[in-house]
Amino acid sequence: MKKSFILLSSALLTASILAGCNKNKEPVEIAVVTDVGQLMDGGFNQGTYEGAKKYAEAHKIAYNYYAPANGSKATDADREAAMNSAIENGAKVIVAPGFLQEKAMRNVAQANPDVKFVFVDGWNLGLKNITAISYKEEEAGYMAGYAVTKEGYTKLGGTFGGGGSNPACNRFSYGFIQGANDAATAMGKTVEYKMSFKNGSSFSASTELQTQISGWYKAGTEVVFSCGGSMVNSVIAAAQSYENAKIVGVDTDQAALSPKIITSATKGLAVSVEKVLGEFYDGKWDAQLADKTSKLGAADNATGLPTADGSWRFKTFTKEEYKTLFDGIAKGSITIDSKTPENMNTQEVWTAIDEKLTAATISFEA
Amino acid sequence: MDAIFIIQQTILFTIPLMIVGLGGVFSERSGIINLALDGEMVIGAFAGAIVAKLVIASNPALANAQWLFLVCLLISAAAGALFSLLLSFAAINLKADQTIEGTALNMIAPAIVCMIGLLSFNSERIFSGANFVILKSSYSPSFQQAFDGPMGWFFDLFFNNIYISTYIIVILYVLLSVWLYKSKIGTHLRACGEHPQAAASVGINVYRMRYLGATISGALAGIGGFAYITTCAATTAESSVGGLGFLALAIMIFGNWNPLFIALGAVFFGFLKCLGVLSSQISWISAANLPSYFYNIIPYAVVILVLILTRSKSGCPKAEGIPYEKGER
Repeated sequence: MKKSFILLSSALLTASILAGCNKNKEPVEIAVVTDVGQLMDGGFNQGTYEGAKKYAEAHKIAYNYYAPANGSKATDADREAAMNSAIENGAKVIVAPGFLQEKAMRNVAQANPDVKFVFVDGWNLGLKNITAISYKEEEAGYMAGYAVTKEGYTKLGGTFGGGGSNPACNRFSYGFIQGANDAATAMGKTVEYKMSFKNGSSFSASTELQTQISGWYKAGTEVVFSCGGSMVNSVIAAAQSYENAKIVGVDTDQAALSPKIITSATKGLAVSVEKVLGEFYDGKWDAQLADKTSKLGAADNATGLPTADGSWRFKTFTKEEYKTLFDGIAKGSITIDSKTPENMNTQEVWTAIDEKLTAATISFEA
Repeated sequence: MDAIFIIQQTILFTIPLMIVGLGGVFSERSGIINLALDGEMVIGAFAGAIVAKLVIASNPALANAQWLFLVCLLISAAAGALFSLLLSFAAINLKADQTIEGTALNMIAPAIVCMIGLLSFNSERIFSGANFVILKSSYSPSFQQAFDGPMGWFFDLFFNNIYISTYIIVILYVLLSVWLYKSKIGTHLRACGEHPQAAASVGINVYRMRYLGATISGALAGIGGFAYITTCAATTAESSVGGLGFLALAIMIFGNWNPLFIALGAVFFGFLKCLGVLSSQISWISAANLPSYFYNIIPYAVVILVLILTRSKSGCPKAEGIPYEKGER
């Protein structure tokens, strides 16, 4: 028994060493280092990877992804190790999504000035070999708010993750109510808007969130914008109890999650990664990307609502109206205020927004 | 905000806490400290969600089939029971430290879930697409009329916007509690948690009783886990149940290892948690202008108070946590 166990474990050990020696002969130029969560997460990692994959396959460049060790509990050291192994395998450009990558990226980029880094959903780190991509989430939120109001809904709600300090969630929330307000103004109506960060600080589903949103639907709220990871599951659970309840999804097209999801405020990760990789390979790094943040929105086709047949669930609001709206935002004829305060989880912030938006009545739930 | 809504939401908070708390009783009354309730919930929820996902993927029309809900509850009970065997084996046969073993199981459960999820579905999150809620509109028109009658509130409360898991769990709770206290096997099981040597001396197989207690415990935790994700997360399983297993454990101690007090404790917790969430939505509560934290703190403060006041009359099984050695006195 003991002997066979030793034999087995040594065999496994040898196998793992051999596997480690099996180096790719071809350098893998484009590397994606994933954020926490899995590669095919239907969101962040998947979008980034698909963008890299699309560009690489179209231009016959070798690509691969590297998942830092320890999954959701990956440390900066795990991320650095993943980035370093990407460089060992010949990476010229490393694409890494998620704000958690900041420290690892800064360290590895300093040590490897010849390798380029793309910081998706990030910001400038003061290094010439790093470029950042961020999104105009307020545009996606605006389109969703505008669309549901045009559809005829006037009692809206929004539950957001991050406890008021997540910049992306804040921009989504502020854009959503601006869109609703503008559509209501155009239609000569007013909208009621319930707004909360209360049960979303950990971006997870909970009975608390389900009860809170059930209370909203019960009291007449028609559409709830669910903005934050697994929170959508609790919003779906709440909506299932009310015949006419609707949900707005976020980040990616979430229509498949439930028939209750009327639309999703999406940001095009794949499109943006593809675009930045194209600029890099076209030799525009120093001029356009080095230590800069590409802020992408409708003009880059990086924000919008899904229009595929199964995902388009509006009955009144038409695709033509959406096209006009989208073009208006892309061309700049519709302006959206993107200045969100650092902490939006306060009554004062929403009182100020309420005063500014004349067609919207906002009640904030702390 | 009407009373029916508050009662129904309270029930959603209460049911998982109650049944998992009873699971804790079965294990501890047989002499095994079961800290792994949380992990067993995770495993149960996950197994149920996978079955729901596979069935619904093959036939989307089954997304709100109640028989599928029943099957999933059974599967989650089986998965929870199976997982609890790891605890029983270590605690009973290997005589390992039960606290450490329970903690280890709580750590390994999310890992197992992530691994299976990633290997089989490319995702740590198992989204089943199920919708098991029963609404008024799903009944026949003649029955729907009853909702408008003089007893309308009764039908609204018990037949509209409900989950069958609620009724199943309440019935299970009563039956198992009575069984534990009134049946021969139940008495034997409890004896093993108080004085296993004495139990053995009258011919009770202590090992078997402890296996039985811990396995029932795992099964109930599994059911609780699946009921939880069904009612609060639209039957989507993740590697966590929000620490509910630990809360159930606290309620078990709060209820002095007694099913009746545990049920009351769970209702008390559920009601206050519900009020905490709805405090800003219910006019007569928001008029008091207390922060929602206040309602969230009360149950925990009461637990501490109750534990201080009842410390001399603790119902804690005397032999819990002590491995049973044959022949030892």
